[in-house]
Amino acid sequence: MDNAKASFYLSQFIGKPLRIHTSDGRVFGGQMKCTDKDRNIILALTYEYRSPSAEVIRKAIEASGNPSAPVNWNSRYVGLVVIPGEHVRKIEFEESAYSGHKSGMVL
Amino acid sequence: MDVASSSANSSRVHNDGSVYAPISLPLRQAFKQHVAKTNIHNITEKFTKACNGLDVGQLVKDEYFTLFESIGALEIMDPKMDSGFLQPGETLEDDYDPLTPLLPDELIGIMDQLLCYEMAWHTGYPLSQTLFTSLHIDRLLWPETKVFEHAQFYRGDVEEGKRPGVFLEVLRAYCLALVKGCDFVIAKVTGRDYFEEEDFCTNTYNRVLFVQVPVDVFARELDAAVDLMEDPDLDIPDALRKAITTRLDFRKSFLTALDLDLPLDNLSRYWAPILSSITTIKNTHALGTPVPSSFSTKIQRKLASTVPPRPIVDLAFADALAKLTQLCTDCEEATRFTTLPLDPLEYQAFLWTFASRDPTPLPYSRSYLSTILFDPATLNTSISLPLTDIRSLVFPSSPILDPLNWTLSPPRNPLLPKPPRLQLALLIDDFVDRAGQPYLDFWIALGQNRCRLRRMLTHVIIAWDFLQVDAALVDADLMATCQQLGVEPQVLDNPLTAWVYVKKLWMMEKVVLLGFEQDIYLPDEFAGMYYFLSVVAAKRAAELDRCEKHVGERTMQLIGASRYQDAQDVDDMGPYVDSELQQAKGVSEFAKALYRFYTILLYLGLIPHLKRPFSTEELRYELRMKPFLALQPVEVPLFAEFQAALQPYGSYSSPSSSASLQADLRDPDSALWTSIDAAIKAAKDAFARVKKYGSRKSKASGVEQAWGKEVNGLLASCVALGVGVAGVKDAVGKAEGDADSGTGALGVKVEIPKVGEGKRYAEGWVVGKVVKV
Repeated sequence: MDNAKASFYLSQFIGKPLRIHTSDGRVFGGQMKCTDKDRNIILALTYEYRSPSAEVIRKAIEASGNPSAPVNWNSRYVGLVVIPGEHVRKIEFEESAYSGHKSGMVL
Repeated sequence: MDVASSSANSSRVHNDGSVYAPISLPLRQAFKQHVAKTNIHNITEKFTKACNGLDVGQLVKDEYFTLFESIGALEIMDPKMDSGFLQPGETLEDDYDPLTPLLPDELIGIMDQLLCYEMAWHTGYPLSQTLFTSLHIDRLLWPETKVFEHAQFYRGDVEEGKRPGVFLEVLRAYCLALVKGCDFVIAKVTGRDYFEEEDFCTNTYNRVLFVQVPVDVFARELDAAVDLMEDPDLDIPDALRKAITTRLDFRKSFLTALDLDLPLDNLSRYWAPILSSITTIKNTHALGTPVPSSFSTKIQRKLASTVPPRPIVDLAFADALAKLTQLCTDCEEATRFTTLPLDPLEYQAFLWTFASRDPTPLPYSRSYLSTILFDPATLNTSISLPLTDIRSLVFPSSPILDPLNWTLSPPRNPLLPKPPRLQLALLIDDFVDRAGQPYLDFWIALGQNRCRLRRMLTHVIIAWDFLQVDAALVDADLMATCQQLGVEPQVLDNPLTAWVYVKKLWMMEKVVLLGFEQDIYLPDEFAGMYYFLSVVAAKRAAELDRCEKHVGERTMQLIGASRYQDAQDVDDMGPYVDSELQQAKGVSEFAKALYRFYTILLYLGLIPHLKRPFSTEELRYELRMKPFLALQPVEVPLFAEFQAALQPYGSYSSPSSSASLQADLRDPDSALWTSIDAAIKAAKDAFARVKKYGSRKSKASGVEQAWGKEVNGLLASCVALGVGVAGVKDAVGKAEGDADSGTGALGVKVEIPKVGEGKRYAEGWVVGKVVKV
């Protein structure tokens, strides 16, 4: 991808909600503010999500008897964060389009 | 009903006058719940590729997002910044279940541990490292409950077998009351008129400490817990039962005392019950078994905090109880404020003494006192507090303050001149208004901790300096009006300026003395600072001397006019003014003696004189005088003057007039020595007279004991200095013959008593001790 294309592609996501999965299994959801060549990403208004521990899952299943019982993830507001590129495992774009609207984004 | 009449055909007016839209209009479209379809796109690959396409250093960013803002971002996965970062193998959750049944001794252990953390918090550590490390408290507060009864060690339903037992219920009541107590403490500390607490951490990390729940709910929980404990069917050794109920009782009385809405009268009765239960708690502490696993640093990850977990603060139980005792005694002492005579000078003495308490009062106690001080019941008195203060010093039965002045009405035509007496009243009212804020600022400063008090006083002094300028303007008008009335001889010259000036100088003296108290100055600076102190105090003495003379004259005038009652009243003012005068004189003379003493020690090389290659004496002098440089009239002596006073024989290491120095040193009757002795004697006499007046006449009756101790300390310091001077004089005399009088040759050395070791008779007065080697 050449520089102009790359810049255009990335700048579409500015101010848009991204979900970033980090190497330790957490997910950060927030608005993208900034990124660079090393794929460091700055998110604003971020929430941290952490999968429940095995213990909690085990208990929930035991309690309900249903092996696919829903268990809530723990979330916490963390605000403005920078996620170093090396720890980024997966990036998801959260498109919330109202029916009939086209986001017009090149994905 | 304009609306109704104009649109009567399209809308209907109902009996009650309300207007409704006609029914025939189409209803507005109901707000449609947009259930936005959320599509999640995995863009990892393309994003990564695009990033690779960027140049080094190129940023793709929101144009309003600045580098400055980005500095505030937390770096994820950085162990120092990311509070959610787990070390390999570390778990987020704790293994301890707050529903684990407790034994009675474990209950005592947890209660005592909580008390330790509570006191650690009072001494300045954040809640996150103290009380919020308790899993029990965490469970009560989080997830937050809407209904108070739901604040349990569990949420929702719990199996019958796991329902908390008696001891857990008791612990719950204890924890709830504890948390509410913290809420009260925070409210009191942050509720002060001036809040900028540096020794106390009010952050609750987004946890709500039952702010909305009234205090009696907690009292009820505690009572219920006591009932549970006293149930005869409960199988528990009596000693343990007693220990637990004592702790519950303690918690209840403590919570009551912390309550914000207590009336000012009778405040003192709340603290004694707490103090009496402390002994029992101490004696039964050994019965408890600690449960360390019920506390964890991991909770900090769940708090709204941006720092990774920090270690739990451990305060030993004995220390915690000592702090608690101190807190209660300080607060009890603070309640005595309500019993003081209605006199701002009494208030001032009380505030000053309270701030000087040793150990220094905890932030809560200080807030407690300022809440009483700034309570409307204290401030809204029938008399104006600043005016009472002014009257005590400069207006002995003065025509300026004649109540009649306030009864005159202004002329109906605003262009006509006002009667002069009314002008006096208006001028005074204006000035009192103007002085109100600086006056309050002064009191606020007195409510801070010692270090801050010193720093804040320097700012208050500046405010009073401005006030002095305004006072001079008002004084000019006052004097002109008095001249018009022909009552000039009955009034002190420039009374308001005199009052402001005396107060300002007093604060300056205190700033210097606090500097000594807080070990700001090095031994080789002692001479200079005491010199400055002596200069300032001498100015205050001169001003007070004027006031005192005026009181005397005024008494004679009144006797001459056969107004014996008034004469008596004025005469009664005399002791206060004279006591202040003697105090100022004593300070000035004693500081003079000390500065001369330290100058001699510097010449003799008995005090280490540091080499400072990167600064000059002039710059250091400027630095020390910085807070006072802007003042008018000029208070800081010129450097040349200062130099001449401190180094009369040239520099300390190589005196230019060495011969005369040696001669003066050896001659016990030279001015060098006799001036010190004279100054010590003058200081001693002055302090003795202050002592004779006693605390009541010096307007410090509320703090009689501390006042007496201070005066005695000053007197003892004078004696100690006399001994020190004699020691050096002797040593110099004996060393006669030796041309070179170095330290070794003199056979004595000087020990500087350290702060807080109890070796100073008065903390602000450092008297070096001369000992033989």
